[in-house]
Amino acid sequence: MAGESASGPERPQSEFIIRFRRNRNAMIGSIIVALVVAAALLAPWIVPYDVEKVNMLTVWEPPGEDFWFGADALGRDVFSRVIVGARVSLLVAVSVLAITLTVGTILGMCAAYFGGWVDTVIMRTVDIIFAFPELIFAILIAAMLGPGKLTVIIALSIVWWPGIARLTRSLVLSLKSELFVEAAIASGTPVHRIMRRHFLPNIIAPLIVRASIGVGFIIMAEATLSFLGIGVQEPEPTWGGMIRDGLSQLRTDPHLALYASLALGITMVGFNLLGDGLRDILDPRVRDR
Amino acid sequence: MVGYAMRRILGLVAVWFIAVLLTFIAVQFVPGDPILALLSDRSGDPVLEARLRAEYGLDRALWVQFLDYLGNIANGTFGLSFRFAGTPVIDVIAGGLTISPVLALVSIAIAVPLGVSLGVFVAIRQNTWADTLVILILVAGISVPNFAMAAFLVYLFSIKLGLVPVAGWGGADQLILPVTILVIPPTAYIARLTRTYMLEVLQQDYIRTARAKGVRERLVIYRHALRNTLVPLLTTIGIIFGGLLSGTFVVETIFNIPGLGRMAIESIFARDYPVTMSIVLLFTVFYSLINLIIDLLYAALDPRIRLDAGES
Repeated sequence: MAGESASGPERPQSEFIIRFRRNRNAMIGSIIVALVVAAALLAPWIVPYDVEKVNMLTVWEPPGEDFWFGADALGRDVFSRVIVGARVSLLVAVSVLAITLTVGTILGMCAAYFGGWVDTVIMRTVDIIFAFPELIFAILIAAMLGPGKLTVIIALSIVWWPGIARLTRSLVLSLKSELFVEAAIASGTPVHRIMRRHFLPNIIAPLIVRASIGVGFIIMAEATLSFLGIGVQEPEPTWGGMIRDGLSQLRTDPHLALYASLALGITMVGFNLLGDGLRDILDPRVRDR
Repeated sequence: MVGYAMRRILGLVAVWFIAVLLTFIAVQFVPGDPILALLSDRSGDPVLEARLRAEYGLDRALWVQFLDYLGNIANGTFGLSFRFAGTPVIDVIAGGLTISPVLALVSIAIAVPLGVSLGVFVAIRQNTWADTLVILILVAGISVPNFAMAAFLVYLFSIKLGLVPVAGWGGADQLILPVTILVIPPTAYIARLTRTYMLEVLQQDYIRTARAKGVRERLVIYRHALRNTLVPLLTTIGIIFGGLLSGTFVVETIFNIPGLGRMAIESIFARDYPVTMSIVLLFTVFYSLINLIIDLLYAALDPRIRLDAGES
């Protein structure tokens, strides 16, 4: 797709890899993210125990040879639940990204391309959602729909697409006056073709940066909603839910809260480092300094 | 400037109206009949049911209910609670009314000067070990969610070292951990932005000119560079404030602080939707007011903003 771009010379891919290798943040971040993704994908094969199986004989078992991270209030293996927790977090993040990138990019391009009332309707909707603090809007939706994984995905998608739409709109607005776009319009190229072949390849880099930074936000938001009890529900393991259960037991059995917090913290650092690194590499304004 | 302010205030009123409308619709959508829940064990009593329905105005047309809702917001009662029969929402939330906003304001009052000083500190030491170390800590401070941070801090400082109370509200020592946890993420965020902006500003020609004509380094940093860093920083205060308001939900839940955030969450579980929605509404109003003040300040400081806004 990028090869079809009419925007002049594309940055060769090897240059991206060289820059990536030289960027310490991007390297450390990508290693952490790779480990988390691997754990999430391989979870069914690497977890030693069934994450939902209750065992009253091992309630609050401290960390040891049988249970590396100990066991929780229902005797379930914390290590297994932390690993599967990565799967739940990433599943939510990938779903929200897929929805918001699709909706946000299409609406952003439409707003910029058509202008007029289309632009007004889309951008005023964006403004309204921006007028609420993100998490509080998500809580409002969670209260309406009732807790659950689907609610989290819907709530976070609603609060996150406006950012993508606004970014896309501003990028496309500046592209619209480029000669190659004017030529395409003048020669009667259909709208969807202009969007796919002229806009999309030229806005993909900033969108990737935005998405990579967004993954961190989405994982944090999912964990927060689950921590508050209005996100993903038991018995499915989530880091947020495990930290909430563990906090009440911090004095006698700190392992649950601490290991779940560690997993969430390291994952967040990984995604943020990768996002920062990608921004430095792909954003020419920062890069050329 | 006056025109710009008027436009922004009109926009604010529109946002408030939509927030009111959204919370009203949200209450219509929630599952279950609140009156049947209120009746619970006396659900066979049709007279009582009819009386309660009339008291809550739920027997009237939807648009009348909406007007009622507007009226209740205007007279400051925010309607009646579903959990505490016949009690106005304002009486339920009165105790927490000041706690969450004060927590957020205190946190930002600490985070801004702390973050800016830290940012300047590392910016003028770019690429030294101190810079690298502080950046690592800042990345962790921004990345680690506040409740995960709370797990470590409570375990270390309350349980292992016994320095501060585990939870509670009222004493000054009970404020230390919650405020620390609220302050860390915005401080780290502000410090990183300050560093980036400072490094950008320090490359400008007027800084070179100032140095060339022999202005002392302290003055170059604080008078020439920092001042130009503060203006773009101002715009991010709104985002930071939103994060802090959300943070109070978490921190109040962890530390058993009887603020609005914890009440909102509790009332979701108690299906007391009028209370939840009133709190959502109050937070939105508070948040949008802060953003309005920041926008007006920004427009006053930077004339280009109000010109741009006038054109679009």
